[in-house]
Amino acid sequence: MSHLPATVSLAPVPADARVGNPLPTEDREAQIMWRLRNRISIAQLRHLFATARLRTTVVICLSLLFWLGLFGLFFEGFEFVVKHVGEAGAAHHARTVSFVFHLFFASLNVMLVFSSGIILYSGLYSSPDTRYLLTIPIRSERIVLYKFQEAVFFSSWGFFLLASPMMVAYGIVVGAPWHYFALLLPLIVAFVYIPCGLGALGCLWIVHKIPKLRKVIVGVASIMLIALTGKYIWNTISVPQSSLFGAEWFQETIDRFAFTRGALLPSTWLTGGLLEAARGPSLGLESGNWPDMPAVKSCLYLSVLISNALLLHLLIIWGAKRWFRIGFSRYECRQTRRRTAQIALVDKLVTLVLSPFSSQIRLLLVKDWRLLRRDPVQWSQFLIFFGLLGLYLLNVDRFSNPNNNLSYVTWVHMVSFLNLAVVGLILSTFTTRFIYPMISLEGHCFWILGLLPVRRDTIIWSKFLFAAIGSWIPCSALILLSDVLLCVSPLAIGLHQLTCVLLCFGLASIAVGLGAMMPNFSERSPSKIAAGFGGTLNLVLSAIYIVVTVVLTALPSHFFLVAATSPFHNSLLLPELLRFWLFSGIGLAILIAALTTILPLRWGLQAFRRLEFC
Amino acid sequence: MVSHARQRNRDLNSGQSGTRGDPDTMIEFQNASRNYGTKIAVEELTLNIPAGEVFALLGHNGAGKTTTIKMLVGLLLPNSGQISVGGHNIATRARDTAASIGYIPDQPYLYEKLSGREFLTFVAEMYGMDPDQTAQGIAREIERFELQEFIDELTERYSHGMKQRTVFASAMLHNPRVLVIDEPLVGLDPHSIRLVKDLLRSEATAGTCVFMSTHTLVVAEEIADRIGIMQRGKLIFDGTICELRHQLDGPGQSLEALYLSLVGNSTDLTSAALHRSS
Repeated sequence: MSHLPATVSLAPVPADARVGNPLPTEDREAQIMWRLRNRISIAQLRHLFATARLRTTVVICLSLLFWLGLFGLFFEGFEFVVKHVGEAGAAHHARTVSFVFHLFFASLNVMLVFSSGIILYSGLYSSPDTRYLLTIPIRSERIVLYKFQEAVFFSSWGFFLLASPMMVAYGIVVGAPWHYFALLLPLIVAFVYIPCGLGALGCLWIVHKIPKLRKVIVGVASIMLIALTGKYIWNTISVPQSSLFGAEWFQETIDRFAFTRGALLPSTWLTGGLLEAARGPSLGLESGNWPDMPAVKSCLYLSVLISNALLLHLLIIWGAKRWFRIGFSRYECRQTRRRTAQIALVDKLVTLVLSPFSSQIRLLLVKDWRLLRRDPVQWSQFLIFFGLLGLYLLNVDRFSNPNNNLSYVTWVHMVSFLNLAVVGLILSTFTTRFIYPMISLEGHCFWILGLLPVRRDTIIWSKFLFAAIGSWIPCSALILLSDVLLCVSPLAIGLHQLTCVLLCFGLASIAVGLGAMMPNFSERSPSKIAAGFGGTLNLVLSAIYIVVTVVLTALPSHFFLVAATSPFHNSLLLPELLRFWLFSGIGLAILIAALTTILPLRWGLQAFRRLEFC
Repeated sequence: MVSHARQRNRDLNSGQSGTRGDPDTMIEFQNASRNYGTKIAVEELTLNIPAGEVFALLGHNGAGKTTTIKMLVGLLLPNSGQISVGGHNIATRARDTAASIGYIPDQPYLYEKLSGREFLTFVAEMYGMDPDQTAQGIAREIERFELQEFIDELTERYSHGMKQRTVFASAMLHNPRVLVIDEPLVGLDPHSIRLVKDLLRSEATAGTCVFMSTHTLVVAEEIADRIGIMQRGKLIFDGTICELRHQLDGPGQSLEALYLSLVGNSTDLTSAALHRSS
C-alpha cells in the first residue's frame, strides 16, 4: 500500500455516491486523440530507430534516391519542353504541361479515392483498436476522423513522393516566383483531402448499405462497372501501331484524355493553381486589375480546393454519425460462408506434379500449397504481384514493329532484359514477403512438425522447392510472353529462360536460407516478419544478385546479338571475341547462381538443425 | 440504494428472486434479438439485472453469450428489441451508456506502443476525469492490481495476465456503475483470480451491477447472485442456483451437475450440430 497517496482508498465507492464526470467536449476529445497518436508515433519511431536502424536507413536512403531520380527525370523532361516546345507562357508550353499535370493528377485522384477507402475500411471495420474505442465513451465521428487521418497519411505519402519532385522541378525549370513554392504544400494537402474524403464517404456508405442490398444487384453492378472501365481503358490505350508517336497520334491522345480536364475535377483545380502560381508575378499588374494576377488566381484555386475539402470533412462527420455504428454492427454480423476444407482438384493436380519427390517432401509441399491457397490475403497479394506484371508485359507489344533498323532492335533487346530484371525484382519482393517468413511462421506450430518423423533438413528442402518451383513457373511464363510479344530471337529467348531459372533458384535459396538463419518466432504477421532486419537484408541481397545476374547475361548477349551488326567497331568487340564474351558471361552467371543457391541453403540447413524451439 | 441492493443479494442467495422492472434495474434487455445473416445468435432475450447483483451468464460455445455482451457494450446493435443501461438506450445514447460501463473483454486490448500508465491516463481522460481524479484513480488501480513492476513499460512486452490486469484496472478507473466481463479469469494466476473474485463481490456489495459470462462454473457458483443459462440463442434459465436446484429437483447438486443436466453434454450438441449441417 506504500504507493498509495494518503487520500486514496481501495474500498469500493458506494454506487449511489458515484458522480459521473462530464464527458469531454468535442475539442477536448480531439486533443486526447491527438495526444494518443503523438505518443504512439513517438514510441514507434523510437522503436524503429532502436531495433531496425538498418532498415530505416535503407528505406530513407532509397526514398531519397527515388525522389532525386524522379526529380532529375522531370527536370530533364521540362527542360526538353522549354527548349523544344516553348518557354513558359507560350501556348504550346501551357498546353503540353497542362496535359501532363491534368493526366498525372487525375490518375492519382482516382487512386487516392480507392486507396483511402480501402485503408479506412481495414482501419475501421477490422481492427481491434476500433473495437476497443467503440466500448468507451467516445463519439463515433471522432473514431472515424481518427482513422481517416491515418488513411489520408498512408494513402497519400506515395502521392507526395511522386508529385513533389515533379512540381519542384517544374518550378525551377520555368523560374517560378517564390509564392509558387510557398503554395505547393497547401495546394497538395487541400487536393489530397478531397479524393481521400470521397473514398472515406464511399467506404462508410458501402459498409452501411451493402448488407441490405441484394447480392445479385451488387454483383451485376460490379461486373458492369469493371467491364465499362476495362472497355474505356482499352479504348484509351489502344492505338493503331502505324500512328504511334506521330502528330496525329499526339492530337488523338490529347483529345482522348479530355475527361481529365473536367472543370469539376479537383485535379483541374490543382493544375490551375500550380500553372497560375508558376507564371510571373508581374502579369496582370500592368493593367492594375489585381484579380487577373496569377498569384491571386492561384489563391482562388487554392480556396476552391480548401472549401471543398472542408465540405467533405463536414460530410464525413455527418456520415460517421449516421452510418458508422450501424455499419460496424452490420459488418460484424454479416453472413459468413462456412468454409469446409476439401481436397480440391487443384490439390490433386499439385500432388500429381510433385510425385517425383519423396512422400515427406511432397506432403510438406502440399501442406504449404494448401495454406497459401486457403489464405486469401496471401494469394491475393500474389495475384496482384503477377497480375500487374502481366499487364505491363502485355503492353510491350507496342514495341513489336516490322521495321528492323538497328536502334529499334537495340531498344527491343534492352526492353527484353529490362523485363527480366523487373520480373526478378518483383520476384525478390515476393520471396521477401512470402518465402522469408515461412520458417518463422512454422515456429508457432513447430510442435506438429517436430513430433513427426521428419528430418529438419526435409523441412528446409521442402520450403526451397516450394519457393523455387512456385516462382519459376509464373516467372518463366511471363518472360516467355514478353519475348514472344517483342519478337526477340530464339537465342535471346533461351538465354532469358536460363536467367529466369538462375534467378528463381538463387532468390529462393537466399529467402529460405536467411529465413532459417534469422527466424522471428515472436511475430505472427508475415508482413511484419518481412519488414524486419532479416527481410530487409533479404531484399538488398536479392536485388544485388538480380542486377549481377542480369548484367552478366544481358551485356554479352547484347554485344553478340546487336553490337555485332553495328557499323562501329572496337577491339574488344571483334566478331571472334563476341562468342567468348557471351559464353564467359553465361558461365560466370551460372557460377554465381550456383554459389548463391548452395551457400545460403547450406547455412540455413546448419542453422535450422541447431535451432531450439520453445 | 446500496443497502437495498445488499438486502436484495441476501434475498437472492436465499433463493428469493427479486421482482423484475424495479427502479434499481441497471441492465435491461427487452426482447433483444441479434442474428448473423440467417443464423440467430440471440433470440428474444428479456432480462433485468439490478444494481448490486453479480449475474453470471452460462452456456456452451456458440450459445450467444458473447453476442449478448457485445450488444450490452454497444459493439453490436440488436436487430429487434431494446437494451438499456442505467436507463439509457444503448442504440440511441451509446456514449452515455458507455460512460457508466466498465468492460473487460476476454481478449484484452491495449495500445502496444503505450505504457500501462499512459493507457490508463488515456482512458481516464476519455471518461472525463480531471487530473487529480486521474492521478488518484491510477494510483488506486496500480495498487489494487499490483501493476507497479511493469506499469511504465510498453504494453507490447506484457504477458496475457499482465494485460488482463491492466484492462481490469482501466475498467475500474472511473468507478463504473456496471461491470461487464467476458470470461473474467482467463490467463490470471491463482492470486489474481482470488483478487478478482473478491473485487467483483465487494463491488456488487457497494451497489455495482456485475454482468459476467463464464465457462468456469465453480466461480459462478461461488460469487454469482443469479445465473442465466443460454442455449442456441435463448435464455433457458434465469434465477438463483437454489431455484435451479428446485427446478431440476437436484438438492445439494453442484452447479456443474445442474448445468449439464439442463443443457446436455457437449457431445450430444456436437452430434446434433453435425446432424443439422449434414
